[in-house]
Amino acid sequence: MRTLLQNNLVWLFFAGTVALSFTTDAYSQYLMNLVLVYVVIGQGLNLILGFAGMFAFAHGAFMGIGAYVSALLTAKLGVSLLVAMPAAGVAAAIVGALIGFPALRVSGLYLAMVTLGFSEIVQWGIKHWKSVTGGPDGVSVPAPVLFGHRFYGDYPTFYIVVVVALAMTLLAQAIIRSKLGRAFVAIRDSEIAAQCSGIKVARTKVLAFAISAFYAGIGGSLFSLTQSYITPENFGFYQTTLHFCIVIVGGAASLAGPIIGSIILTWLPEVLRNAQALQEIGYGLMLILFVIFAPRGIAGFLIDKGILPRERFSLRRPSLPGRSRPAPQEG
Amino acid sequence: MEIATLLSVGLSNGCLYGLVGLGLVLVYSSQGIPNFAHGELFMAGAFLAYTAIVLLGLPYFLSFLIAVVGIGLMGMLLEWLAIRPISLHRSLGRASSEVAIVLATVGLAIVLKGLARIPWGDSVRNLPTAFTTQTVTIGGVAIATQRLLIVAVTLVLTVAISVFFARAPLGKKMRATAQNPTGAKLIGIHTSNIYSATWALAAACGAIAGVLAAPLIFLHPDMGTRMLLKGFAAACLGGFGSVTGVLLGGVLMGVVEIFAGRYIATSMMDIFAPIIIILVLLFWPQGLFGARRAARV
Repeated sequence: MRTLLQNNLVWLFFAGTVALSFTTDAYSQYLMNLVLVYVVIGQGLNLILGFAGMFAFAHGAFMGIGAYVSALLTAKLGVSLLVAMPAAGVAAAIVGALIGFPALRVSGLYLAMVTLGFSEIVQWGIKHWKSVTGGPDGVSVPAPVLFGHRFYGDYPTFYIVVVVALAMTLLAQAIIRSKLGRAFVAIRDSEIAAQCSGIKVARTKVLAFAISAFYAGIGGSLFSLTQSYITPENFGFYQTTLHFCIVIVGGAASLAGPIIGSIILTWLPEVLRNAQALQEIGYGLMLILFVIFAPRGIAGFLIDKGILPRERFSLRRPSLPGRSRPAPQEG
Repeated sequence: MEIATLLSVGLSNGCLYGLVGLGLVLVYSSQGIPNFAHGELFMAGAFLAYTAIVLLGLPYFLSFLIAVVGIGLMGMLLEWLAIRPISLHRSLGRASSEVAIVLATVGLAIVLKGLARIPWGDSVRNLPTAFTTQTVTIGGVAIATQRLLIVAVTLVLTVAISVFFARAPLGKKMRATAQNPTGAKLIGIHTSNIYSATWALAAACGAIAGVLAAPLIFLHPDMGTRMLLKGFAAACLGGFGSVTGVLLGGVLMGVVEIFAGRYIATSMMDIFAPIIIILVLLFWPQGLFGARRAARV
C-alpha cells in the first residue's frame, strides 16, 4: 500500500488539488493556481539547476517572455490559447538556447552573472518597447476561450492550469528517466567523465537551457492567466529569487522538490501578511538556512526518512566521509 | 563645455562603479564567488550615514566614519553567520559549496533589502552633501564638490589598498590565501580570519561608495541592485583581479555610459552594465585591464 502511494505521488498531488478545488473560496483557489504555476516553473529550474547543475539566473526573464508572448498573442492578435501557450514556451526556449551558447564558453559562477545581465536586458526591453508591450503600464490579459467556452475567473482557470501542470510534471519525470536526463546528471557530476562516456556536452547543455526555458515560458503563460494584468515588474530579480527558493527549499534534483517548494513559498506570503519587507526577509532567511543546514531541501529530508521514495538521480547524501564527488575541473 | 561637464559626471560616476566593483573583486579573489549581497551593503552604508547625519545630527565626517566602520563590522558578521558555515561543509565538494555560497549571498541580499524596507521603504530620502558649497568652477566648468570628493576619495583609497596588499602583513596574508588556501593554512595563516577581514574590507568599500553616492542618487532600499550590476560590469572590465583594473573599468564604464545616455538615448544608461557584463565575459574573459595585474589581490 505504502509503495503504491509512494510510486504515484504525482497523481496523488494533482488529484488532491482537484479535490480541494471543490472546497476553496475564490482567493484560496487563486493561490492554488499560483502553486501550480510555480510547480511548472520550479520543475524547469530544477532540471537545469538540480539535474544539470548549471547556475541559470534568468528564469524570471524566461517567464516574462512566455507571459508577454502569450498575453500579446491572445490580446492583440486574437490567437487561441491552444496556439499562444506553446508559442510562449517555444519563444522562451529559443531565447533560452541562445543564452545556452554562452554557457559553453563561461562556466560556473560567471554563468550566473551572464544570465543575470541577460534578465536585466529582457526586463529593460519589455519596459521600453512600448509600442508592443505597453511599457511599464503592462498588458491586460483576456480570459481565454477554448472549445467555445470562456474560461473567466479563478475556478475555470484552475482547470487549464492543473492540466498543463500535470502534463509538464509528467514530462519532467520522463525527461529525468530518459537518456537525456541521465546525460544531465552525468554533466553535473563530472563534465569530463560525461564527455568520456560519449555524451555530447555542448549539445546537452544548450538543450538543458532550452528545455528549462520552455518550462518557464509555459509557466509564464499560465501565470498571465492567473493575473488579469501583467507588468514588467512581475518578472525581475525578485521573481528569479523566488524560483530559486522554491527549488532549494523544496529540494533540488528531486521531482517532489519543486512541488513542496511551491506550496510552501506560495502560502508563506499569506502568513507574512503580504508585506513585501517581511516576504523578502522570510524568503532570504529560508534560502540561507536551507543552503546551510539542508542543502537537499525538504524532499531530501523526507527521502532520508523513507517517507518519499528514493529517486535514482537525486543528489547524494552529503554526509558520507571521504566519498564526496571530486570537484569538476575549472575552466 | 558640455563635453567637459559630461566628462566630470562620467568620471565621478565611474569612480563609484570602480569602488563598488572593488568590493566585489576583493570577495571574488579570496573566495571565488560573486557577492550578490554587495549592492545591499552599499545601500546599508548610505542608510547608516543617513541615520547618523539626519536623525542623530552628528557631523558629516564622523557619520561617514561610523557608516564605514559599522558596515565593515556588519560584513564580518554576515560572513560569520551565513558564509562560514557553508565553507565548512567539506563534504559538498568545492563546486557545489561555491554554488551554495552564492545562493547564501542572494539570500542575504533580499533579507537586507527587506530589513531596510521596514523603516525606510515608504518613500525616497535625501542625504546631504559633504560640503555646503555645492559647486566650484574650474576653467569655466561648474563641477559639483561632491563629485570632486568622490574622485579624491577613490584615488586615495585605490593607492591605499594597493599599498596595503603590497606591504602590510595582513594584505600579504590575504594574497597568500587567495592564491592557495591550503598552502596558506600550511604556513600558519588562519584562513577563516582572513575571509572575515576580506569581507570587512569589501563591505567598508561598499559603504564608502554608498555614502559618497547617496547625495547624487536617492536613498531607497532598492538602490543597491542597480549599483551591483554596474559594479559587476566594472569588475568584469577589470578582469576580476586587480585593484587598478577595476577602477579603470569603472571609469571607462561611467564615461561611456554618460555619453551614450546623452547622445543616443537616456534609457541606454540602465542597460549598459548588463550588456558590458555579457560581452566582456563572452569575448574577453580576462577583462580589458586584467592582463596588467597591477596588484593581484
